[in-house]
Amino acid sequence: MTAAAWSARSLLGKAFGPRMAVRAKTTATTAILLVAAACVLIPIYWLIVASSKDTSQLFSTNTFLLPSHPSWSANFSSLFSYESGDYKWWFLNSFIYASVTATLATVVSTMAGYGLAKYEFGGRRAAIGLVMGTLMVPATALVVPLFLLEHYMGLTDTYQGVILPLIVYPFGVYFMSIYAAEAVPDALLESARIDGAGEFRALWKVGRPILVPGMATLFLLSFIATWNNYFLPLVLLGTETRFPLTVGLSAWAATLNEVGAGEPLYSNLILGSLISVLPMLVLFPFLQKYVARGLTFGAIAGE
Amino acid sequence: MTGPFFGLFAVFFAGPLIYSVVLSLRSPRTGGFAGLLNYRATFSNGYYWSAVVRMGYFGVIQVTVMIGFAICLALLLDGPYCRGRRIFSLVYFLPYAIPGVIAALMWGFLLEPDLDVLLKVPHLLGITSGSIQPLDYRLSLYAIMLIVTWEWAGYNMTILLTSLTSVPRQVIEAAKVDGASELAIAARIKLPMIRRTLIFITILSIIGTLQLFSEPVILNEVAAIGNSLTPNQIIYNTAFSFGNLQTAAAQSLVLAVITIVATVAFYGIVRRRMNPLAATRTAK
Repeated sequence: MTAAAWSARSLLGKAFGPRMAVRAKTTATTAILLVAAACVLIPIYWLIVASSKDTSQLFSTNTFLLPSHPSWSANFSSLFSYESGDYKWWFLNSFIYASVTATLATVVSTMAGYGLAKYEFGGRRAAIGLVMGTLMVPATALVVPLFLLEHYMGLTDTYQGVILPLIVYPFGVYFMSIYAAEAVPDALLESARIDGAGEFRALWKVGRPILVPGMATLFLLSFIATWNNYFLPLVLLGTETRFPLTVGLSAWAATLNEVGAGEPLYSNLILGSLISVLPMLVLFPFLQKYVARGLTFGAIAGE
Repeated sequence: MTGPFFGLFAVFFAGPLIYSVVLSLRSPRTGGFAGLLNYRATFSNGYYWSAVVRMGYFGVIQVTVMIGFAICLALLLDGPYCRGRRIFSLVYFLPYAIPGVIAALMWGFLLEPDLDVLLKVPHLLGITSGSIQPLDYRLSLYAIMLIVTWEWAGYNMTILLTSLTSVPRQVIEAAKVDGASELAIAARIKLPMIRRTLIFITILSIIGTLQLFSEPVILNEVAAIGNSLTPNQIIYNTAFSFGNLQTAAAQSLVLAVITIVATVAFYGIVRRRMNPLAATRTAK
């Protein structure tokens, strides 16, 4: 400990007494935490306020205050009617991409992770090493060749074309292999096998109930990753009505600086952004626990 | 059991990776074998390398600041003077639920002087000659740093906080009995014990920096900050604006190698630094 810290501490102790010092430290800590929380929340608060303004209000009223006449209903109908209502498709598409990908990624990763954890077969170590190695390969190195390969397979500009590559979720396999190794007792599986259950039946009857919390985490991680994905659908899709929200809103944003593109779409973009994040923001307090567990898993397992 | 995964893996991961190697050896004009032509083009492409160097500069500042914030917040939340730990950790983690595209749009508008009164304050106080223009081309890189830090500081804090809670409480209690201050406990006990997690999140951040794409693309749409700030933007332009998939494949493979080299170099440096620590640990 430094001399300065010592003297500061004893000074605080002398001036206020130990209880006062604790109270001062608690106040200081809370103040810092509140400032940091404000930094996180202010942009989101701004998004809510700004979504109530039409374009002229955006440039004329106070940035952080609601206008005297909110334009929510006008903005809302403009958002959902612009260009024959593409926005509702984008929302629906994002939901389809994310939920289908997350479901399939969870099933495929759980089977693979469980298989790697519970069965001895040749090259099991190599397989785990391979999965770990893929975490190092940047996803963008795959997108250019993937575009050509999908072009040959007739998968570009289709839902399957976006979903299939995203089902491959090496982190999910890694996560599940460790989760299954810890959570499913070998003895339980053994007794299921002795009772004559096949491998899939043993997994379904014995493994599944124990693996469900891990699968929930995996589903959420994959859902959020797919919902937030931009690069892959941007490259693979060409038809507006198949875009997810990220690609669609970006296409609108691209018209902001175009000459002769008509009135800038500020209010559509702002309300569209807000509605695209609202479901996740509302659900997040309930999901945070599961998501955080998945994220920290890789880090803690190495500890 | 592992069949479906490795089947999909072969078609949608290993296949494309191998194919990009093949593609990178072909001529953009004829499609025939062209040796290292595309790699030579990549190595002599000044825009590409200045983008790589720019990301190095970006990473040194942004990753350091972001991990610094994450460490401070995690230690404060883990310390004895924190009230409302659950609500704070939820708030800090919230940006993880927001897509990078949306975060960049939101901040893009918020950093536009016509839309944000705060940016006019320095001008009104007479400090600057006009409103601050964070999306001016000279400042836009820092604007991206701000956005990325906003997006990911809480995510990193969440990982650190979980790791901190796994530090054995007896060790901390023993240090307290010996008269160690909270600051000393944080610096001498907590941080060394979570150093693997620190290395892990830093490596993820380095990879993320070299992969930057959504934020600069969206900011360019909002404020025309330029379309070649990051290597991935250049690769995208090469492939899909100029239709040169062969050179783009070479560029993306070189970027993959740069990513691996940066990661390994970082790991090598911190490992060497960590060695004395490891030695004292085994000595005890």
